[in-house]
Amino acid sequence: MKAVLTGNQAIARGFYEAGGLVAASYPGSPTVEIMETLKGYDGIYAEFSPNEKVALEVAIGGSLYGSRAMVSMKHVGVNIAMDPLMTFTQSPINGGFVLVSGDDPGMASSQNEQDNRIIGRFANMGIFYPGSSQEAKDFIKIALELSERFKTPMMMDITSRVCHSRGVVELGEREEIKAKGFTRDQEKYTMLPPNTFKAQYFMKERIKELEEYAYDASFNILEEVEGADTLIVTSGLMYYNLKELNLPVSIYKLGMVYPISTRRMKELSQKYKNIIVLEEMMPFIENELKLKGIDCKGKEYFSFTGELFTEDIEEGLYKAGVIQERKYKGRDTVKTVARPPMFCSGCPHRPVFDILKKLNVTVIGDIGCYSMSVLPAWKASHVMYSMGATVGITKGMNKAMRKSGDKKPIVSIIGDGTFFHSGLPGFIDLIHQVDEEDNMTFIILNNSTTAMTGGQHNAASGRFNNKDDMQVDIKSLLNAMGIENIQEVDQFEYKKARDIIRQATREKGISVIITTRPCALKYKIKEPHFYVDPEICISCRTCVKVNCPPIRMKKYEGIDELKSSIDPEECVGCSVCSQVCPVGAIKRSQ
Amino acid sequence: MNKNIILAGVGGQGLVLATKIISETAFRAGLEVKTNDVIGLSQRGGMVWGSVRMGEKVYSPNIPAKEGDILVGLEPLEAFRWSHLMKDGGHIILNTKEVYPTPVLLEEVDYPHEEIEGLENRYKVVKINAREEAKEAGNIKAANTVLIGMLAKLLTIPNSIWEETIRDNVPPKAIDVNIQAFYRGYNYL
Repeated sequence: MKAVLTGNQAIARGFYEAGGLVAASYPGSPTVEIMETLKGYDGIYAEFSPNEKVALEVAIGGSLYGSRAMVSMKHVGVNIAMDPLMTFTQSPINGGFVLVSGDDPGMASSQNEQDNRIIGRFANMGIFYPGSSQEAKDFIKIALELSERFKTPMMMDITSRVCHSRGVVELGEREEIKAKGFTRDQEKYTMLPPNTFKAQYFMKERIKELEEYAYDASFNILEEVEGADTLIVTSGLMYYNLKELNLPVSIYKLGMVYPISTRRMKELSQKYKNIIVLEEMMPFIENELKLKGIDCKGKEYFSFTGELFTEDIEEGLYKAGVIQERKYKGRDTVKTVARPPMFCSGCPHRPVFDILKKLNVTVIGDIGCYSMSVLPAWKASHVMYSMGATVGITKGMNKAMRKSGDKKPIVSIIGDGTFFHSGLPGFIDLIHQVDEEDNMTFIILNNSTTAMTGGQHNAASGRFNNKDDMQVDIKSLLNAMGIENIQEVDQFEYKKARDIIRQATREKGISVIITTRPCALKYKIKEPHFYVDPEICISCRTCVKVNCPPIRMKKYEGIDELKSSIDPEECVGCSVCSQVCPVGAIKRSQ
Repeated sequence: MNKNIILAGVGGQGLVLATKIISETAFRAGLEVKTNDVIGLSQRGGMVWGSVRMGEKVYSPNIPAKEGDILVGLEPLEAFRWSHLMKDGGHIILNTKEVYPTPVLLEEVDYPHEEIEGLENRYKVVKINAREEAKEAGNIKAANTVLIGMLAKLLTIPNSIWEETIRDNVPPKAIDVNIQAFYRGYNYL
């Protein structure tokens, strides 16, 4: 039987067919859908964990018990999970283990473009690199088998394009695999010296064996063209983009990009005059080949950043002299009006950032939908790096300010998902070495879902979803840490929220404000829409500046000046615009 | 039949489901198919685009520049933005409902009406108010199904297969409305 599946769905299917038992993830684009799909299969324990480190640990536990286990996350999530990963990989693997990392060449929805093949290598893992949905499914199964055979953890590094792309996939039945159970063996599973001494040699040997296996493994495909003097070494989607060009060159397509068989590459380098490496992002395969003493070229011709399309590949091969004529003339795009993302109609983040913008305070942001407050329409938060980072950065900047005699307030913004993910240790640190000059305001936007990735469960979700088993009360949690000045506010009561936030920034000490409205995308607001009375509107544009999709200036018949307007089809009736209007021109319809 | 179809719209317009329905229909018609769609940050009112490639053999899900046969524009500006992928003389199905991006809402730039009109000089453009047609069919939420009906007219896959895929991909309550919406689109051309 066949079906059309995305790369993500195919990974889930592969894990299911391979008899996988334990899977965990933290939602992050581009891999979110893997776990969402897994939750639909019977016989698998599947969870969204509070962060990637916990997710990895859950999978490690499954693998230690001798069951097949998988953990999936976006590329930057692996950074969070690095600590257990780097030590766990020293152990001989019991049940097949695979870490799926979703990389994002071109950064469609990520804060950096790190190439996690480098992490896989660093962690002594074999790395599979699929280019289609069928390969995504097949490689997961092979990775789990090899993981058990070579006692090695495996990585599947998959790019966002392949995660989201659909293709036809051959489906198989689930193979029921009985967990082997956990056998106590401290030498294998307790990583203290001297056990770790041996482990270094074990890992080295394990990769060497895998490299030997790679020589004629079925997942590395050699397509030779009679008389060709150029060999292109590639992997993943780049193979398929290259095939579009239909060139008379030989291709060595690596299903597993690490380790690469030295013997195979030496043989090929004897046969071919030119070896060109085609890969997105870092020169990973290219560097591997160069370390093996293979003369090859790659990043001279292809960009180290962004996606590589068929047109880019053609251009690179033209520069390399492999082809003499070009079919495509680049990939010129239409230059027109930009469309940056924006807060949804009724988004509970909107009033908070409108208030902060008007207060003109320095805001340390974080990762979530509220990251969009950095966009040109708002410019309302001024630092944004990584999950949970706002808390520590705010404290550090506050300390530097106070030591320098700067008395200005500083505001930190964090969502509930991010709070549970990695904000907690930062909050614990807040009451350590408090100075009376401190002035920090922490706003926790508790919309009770992981909104940016599509509204997944988190530890606060039970507040609005009675089917969810977690409802951790953030206020009680912070109280237990010794943080006392905590206020909860409904941010759709604009003036009250503004007064509380303003007061907090004016007071010394640590203030925490928890906003209470849920995500408007997950919990739709269905109130009568608002409209503008153009006779009252003074064209001040205060409402336009809250940047809500239905609000814009328009020409009314018989009125010269442009007046504000609200598209009734888009307005959900949250009332924020009517509350910022200084003259009461925005009214609710009935 | 080798066809390259581009879909362009605004985050939240249902482009991912439309891409799914088109690709599953092609698959059920016995074609090989690959698709792309962009999700993530773009979901929140940003630009989104997808592609469906169908035929005997499909390597990459990406449509190279100037190889698009049909562009389904869920929104006019977004159709214009992705028109560089189209063959000269290709078909553009253009939903006329404008969704204004932030720079227009903030009066920094005008919505590019004239440039969008200019598409007619290079491509076969069919304009439709898909929401109105869907309303006539019984629910404005079926607007994308109207556009899919128009697309079906330009392809050669039997309507029974389209119907079957639509049935399998919309809520049971909405099946009749969507089938009606499909035929309103199909007969529009």
